[in-house]
Amino acid sequence: MAAPGPGEYFSVGSHVSCLTCLGQRLQGEVVAFDYQSKMLTLKCASSSGKPNLNDVILINLAYVSDVDIINDRTETPPPLASLNVSKLANRARSEKEDKLSQAYAISAGVSVEGQQLFQTIHKTIKDCKWQEKNIIVMDDVVISPPYQVENCKGKEGSALSHVRKIVEKHFRDLESQKSMQRSQAQQTQKDSTLSS
Amino acid sequence: MSMKAGGNRSKPGGGSAAGAPASGAGGSGGGRPNLGRGRHSGKGPTAVIFNGVYANMRMVHVLTSVVGTKCELKVKNGAVFEGVFKTYGPECDLVLDAAHRKSPELSIGPRKEDIVESIIFKASDVVVVTFKDVDLSFAKKDNFTDTAVSGKINGEHKEKDLEPWDGGETHNSDSLESLDTDVSNGWDPNDMFKYNEEKYGVLSTYDSSLSTYTVPLERDNSEEFLKREARAAQLADEIEASAAYKARVALENDERSEEEKYTAVVRGERETHTLNSRENKYIPPGQRNREAMSWGPGRQNSPRLSQSSAGPSAPRPGPHDYSPNSGADQRVVNGGSSHWPSPCPSPSSRPPSRYQSGPSSLPPRATTPTRPPSRPPSRPSRPPSHSSHPSYPSSSSSFPHHGPTSPASTLPKRMSSEGPPRMSPKSQRTPRTHRVPPSRTTGIPPGVDLISHNAPGEIPVSAPTRSNSSGGTWSSVVSGAHRPRSPRQNNMGGASTGSSSLPSPQTGTAPMETVATPISASSTAASSAPNMVASPSGDAKECRVQEGRQTSPTANKENIKPLDSSPSITRPVCKGPPSMAPDHRKQIDNLKKFSVDFRLQSSSNPDPTFDQMMTKPPRDPAEKPKDLPLDKVSTVGRDSTEEAVVVIAAGAPGGAPVPSNTTITNTSKPGSPAALSPSPSAPDQKRAGLDVTSQGVQTTATSTFSGPKHEEKEEKKEAVQDQVRKSTLNPNANEFKPRFNTQPKPANTPTPPRPQGQPSPSIVVQQPQAVYGQTVCFPQMYPLTPVSPGVQKSIIWKSPAMYQVQMPHMVSQSKPYRPGKVPNMPQQRSDQHHPPGTPTMMHPATAAGPPIVAQSPAYSAQYFTCSPQQFTSQPLVQQMTHYQSQAQHVFSPVMQGSARMMAPPTHGQPGLVSSSTTQYPEQTHTMYVSPGPMPQQYPHPTATLHPHPQHPQPSATPTGQGQQGGPPQHGGPPNHPAASPVQHPQHPQAAAAAAAQALHLANQPPQQQMYSALAPTPPSMTPGPNPQSPQASFPTAQQTVYIHPQQVQHGYNPNHMAHVQQAHMQSGMVPSHHPGATHPPMMLMATQAPPGGPQPQMPQTALNPIPVSSTTHFSYLAHPQVQPHHQQQL
Repeated sequence: MAAPGPGEYFSVGSHVSCLTCLGQRLQGEVVAFDYQSKMLTLKCASSSGKPNLNDVILINLAYVSDVDIINDRTETPPPLASLNVSKLANRARSEKEDKLSQAYAISAGVSVEGQQLFQTIHKTIKDCKWQEKNIIVMDDVVISPPYQVENCKGKEGSALSHVRKIVEKHFRDLESQKSMQRSQAQQTQKDSTLSS
Repeated sequence: MSMKAGGNRSKPGGGSAAGAPASGAGGSGGGRPNLGRGRHSGKGPTAVIFNGVYANMRMVHVLTSVVGTKCELKVKNGAVFEGVFKTYGPECDLVLDAAHRKSPELSIGPRKEDIVESIIFKASDVVVVTFKDVDLSFAKKDNFTDTAVSGKINGEHKEKDLEPWDGGETHNSDSLESLDTDVSNGWDPNDMFKYNEEKYGVLSTYDSSLSTYTVPLERDNSEEFLKREARAAQLADEIEASAAYKARVALENDERSEEEKYTAVVRGERETHTLNSRENKYIPPGQRNREAMSWGPGRQNSPRLSQSSAGPSAPRPGPHDYSPNSGADQRVVNGGSSHWPSPCPSPSSRPPSRYQSGPSSLPPRATTPTRPPSRPPSRPSRPPSHSSHPSYPSSSSSFPHHGPTSPASTLPKRMSSEGPPRMSPKSQRTPRTHRVPPSRTTGIPPGVDLISHNAPGEIPVSAPTRSNSSGGTWSSVVSGAHRPRSPRQNNMGGASTGSSSLPSPQTGTAPMETVATPISASSTAASSAPNMVASPSGDAKECRVQEGRQTSPTANKENIKPLDSSPSITRPVCKGPPSMAPDHRKQIDNLKKFSVDFRLQSSSNPDPTFDQMMTKPPRDPAEKPKDLPLDKVSTVGRDSTEEAVVVIAAGAPGGAPVPSNTTITNTSKPGSPAALSPSPSAPDQKRAGLDVTSQGVQTTATSTFSGPKHEEKEEKKEAVQDQVRKSTLNPNANEFKPRFNTQPKPANTPTPPRPQGQPSPSIVVQQPQAVYGQTVCFPQMYPLTPVSPGVQKSIIWKSPAMYQVQMPHMVSQSKPYRPGKVPNMPQQRSDQHHPPGTPTMMHPATAAGPPIVAQSPAYSAQYFTCSPQQFTSQPLVQQMTHYQSQAQHVFSPVMQGSARMMAPPTHGQPGLVSSSTTQYPEQTHTMYVSPGPMPQQYPHPTATLHPHPQHPQPSATPTGQGQQGGPPQHGGPPNHPAASPVQHPQHPQAAAAAAAQALHLANQPPQQQMYSALAPTPPSMTPGPNPQSPQASFPTAQQTVYIHPQQVQHGYNPNHMAHVQQAHMQSGMVPSHHPGATHPPMMLMATQAPPGGPQPQMPQTALNPIPVSSTTHFSYLAHPQVQPHHQQQL
């Protein structure tokens, strides 16, 4: 435990703000600090606003200036929970695969809609992959551009109907999302693009 | 910028080349991170191992928590890379998988070509890394704890804002009112169909005729149909009127909430449930007997009931009369062993009666049975006992005959029904095999006891030792008795077992009490906790046996009665002998009656294997332990529910007594543990359930013991103690058997075991290997270990006095033993070990093969270390003796296990093995275990191997001498050769080479078990284990040979030397007392091995050995030998 005590420079739990050499202002709660490597880890509220999630920032203090301790917490930091390493490893692997799969689709020239649809389907059905620009679900259903419900083809059955439901819901949600997030004009534009 | 370059480089290399570096880096990083993670998980990264960031727990934790998340990494030149955070290095180098450089423009996503397998960023190049939307609790392992679950789910609520409810205008009044007035229970199915059809267009395929599932009933008015309809109605009424139906319906329609049924703490009900499933109200211990009695008959099997019922009612009064004080306690005990009441009481009562009457009528046996309490009497009676011995055997033989008639059938059935399928059958069988021999042996054991007693009486010098030995013998005898009893009990049916179980507790108590008064005797009993247990069981058995065998008709009757009131009776008996002569006589009469019944039960023995097993197991497992287990098991099985409950109740009371009678309690505990261990071992393989039950039984038994003890103590105290002991013993025996049968009541047994295990944590360790031996050993061992050499020696030499001393030790040990017992694991291990070693071993081996190996290594290591030291010191010698004794004990357990194992394959061999092993094992094993000093034990193992031969040694001092000659050789250069030769020589000496080999084999397995068991407890013991492991691995061929070599290799040389010396010492010791005797034992072994008849004897011998072991414990070397001799003599 040669590592300096968490509270030696930055006590765990204190709030710190700093400015990076790239001009980025960072602020968050100190989670960990390593003196030797000068690495500081901050925990911030999720940028997406989700309550259960956090943004974690790893800062190299060698490239930071204007370090300011907003408030110092003297409370003893909570004990560390043991981690499920295998779970983490699985996450890393699946994330990597997803990204590679996505990259494959992109490189194949798949449209954004197609990629989004693929992601949506992938959430529900892991057994889906790209085949050129077609999405193959469960080796049974083929969704070809422009990836609409009517483009879902395959052997009639529960699988096909199920995939169709997913696709249908995907676009419906997409629609509502757009309507909520974007102006009418944008929506129409989007729709036009989609339809196109 | 450099970063960039680095990144770029890596990228370029990327596709293919980069992949390697990346992966390599990743690999290295991964490896490190893993370490870090490991640390994390451990929460204790050590500076020594970890450096850099890895030494920073919190940094490691945080970074590890975000592994597998996408992140944006900015380098000094402003470039941003996005990838999946893979890992990090000690210098905080970061590894991103599937990383790509993020272009300033918002692109759809990275192209395949843009993605690099993985990139390693040096910490010095990293400016900032951002992990977005990370769930920091993702990898927390407690994802499924209430806190974790609720924490996650509840977190969502934060976002939700509560809104006032607006019922709207439309349905405001109607809907609300309708809710109040709507009586309908939800939707009508038709409404649902309709709604679904309208709303979703779903058409139901529901067909009210259920034509898919059934055929419509065609009604007509024909006479035939009406008749059938009436018939159907009648049947329906009958079914619905049946209690079973109502009970089941009540389960579904139970108005009580889950809380009420399962969670709520309702004192009255709970206690009743736990204590007595039958009773719903708390019943004072004093009253429990009666209840138990009542219950017993009803609940117990019809056979038992019939028997017990007849006896119980009448007996009850008798027992009570005999020992008023004990009566209550006994009653409790009896209640515990309601099934056993007849058996237990009978045994106890018998013993008492014998004791009481013993002087007059059955003195010999009775005395022997009475054991400690009656030791004085026993001595006088010893001669008679000898005479009786023959009778016993005959009786035992008779038992078998009887057995076939009804008991056997009943028992088997019970066993099967009550006990776990596996356990009951196997355990029973194995037990039977053991038991049978035991039963026969029991006859012998009594003789042994008698002998021991006689010895004291005959030889003044030996007297002290004898007294000790007698104590030991008592225990041994008891064990023997137990065995027989157990068998008998088994034969008897649940009752017998129940009685046995009860007896064990009682015995335990008795020992305690005895300790107080007849310190020597009690001490002996106590000292050999296993012995004690065994003794109790043995007493019980003896009582039973005596009852059964001698069984004067009256005795049978009494026995029956005792069974019901076994606790009280047994106790009274114990007490009675001294003061309650008249009562005892009455009891005896009852016992005689019982004996008749018992005989019938014994007839159950018909299954030779079962009987043998039963008897042998007790014997083998260190006699006591095994006996106890068997008894317990049996009791559990039979009386498990009723008796177990009672026992438990008694146990509670016993707790208090235990302290005062620490030795006793310990003994009881040890015994129970031992029993548990033994039973577990056998059970493990064959019946896990049995083990559990046995354990539970044991625990219960112990508890009962304590309980009885307490009660008795309170009431009669010393005198009572004696009586109690006796009584307890008897009750135990009865109970034990029942329990076996009753195994069904695992819950009770299980819980008890835990307590036991907890009580004797220290013991636990040792327990695993050779609970049996350990118990004995522990006492010795403890003394030895502390004082190691000097003490041990002193102890050993003091053997006579030692008994007393040992007793204390025993107590302590006994406690440990319990734990050991508790830890079924140990037993199992032992079993496993055994399996490897012997044919029987095979089974265990399969199950526990790995464990054994693992243990063996440790053992071996320990062995080496320990053995040398021990060897060096005289204690070694003592230990050696102990070892032998222990070894025997171990063997006994092992043997039991092996025996059981063996039994299935070959009855004859099993029997032989079991007998040999049992005899030796018990003694030696116990000793070994007690030696606590693992080294000693190990040596023993090795020695035991030799000892196995030694078994013979113990049995035959002469052999021992021969062995001594051999040992030196062994000690010499060629360990293996020497060892094997020595063993062989011994065997030859012992008796038939084949038999010897068989024995050796058997012994070896036991030894192995012991080793394993021993090894577990004492690391130092390791040496033994190693040998064992190898042996286990090699078991296939001649395990004995292998084992020997191994053992020899392990440092047997030193050990062997020491062992040899010890053996010599022992032999020397023994020789003085039992040289001739030793030979006889050998003969017995041989004889036993060859003929089936002999086998039974063998068990007996085994039983005797067990006593020996106990005695050995007392007077480690001499006593053991003496005991063996006694056995032999017997």
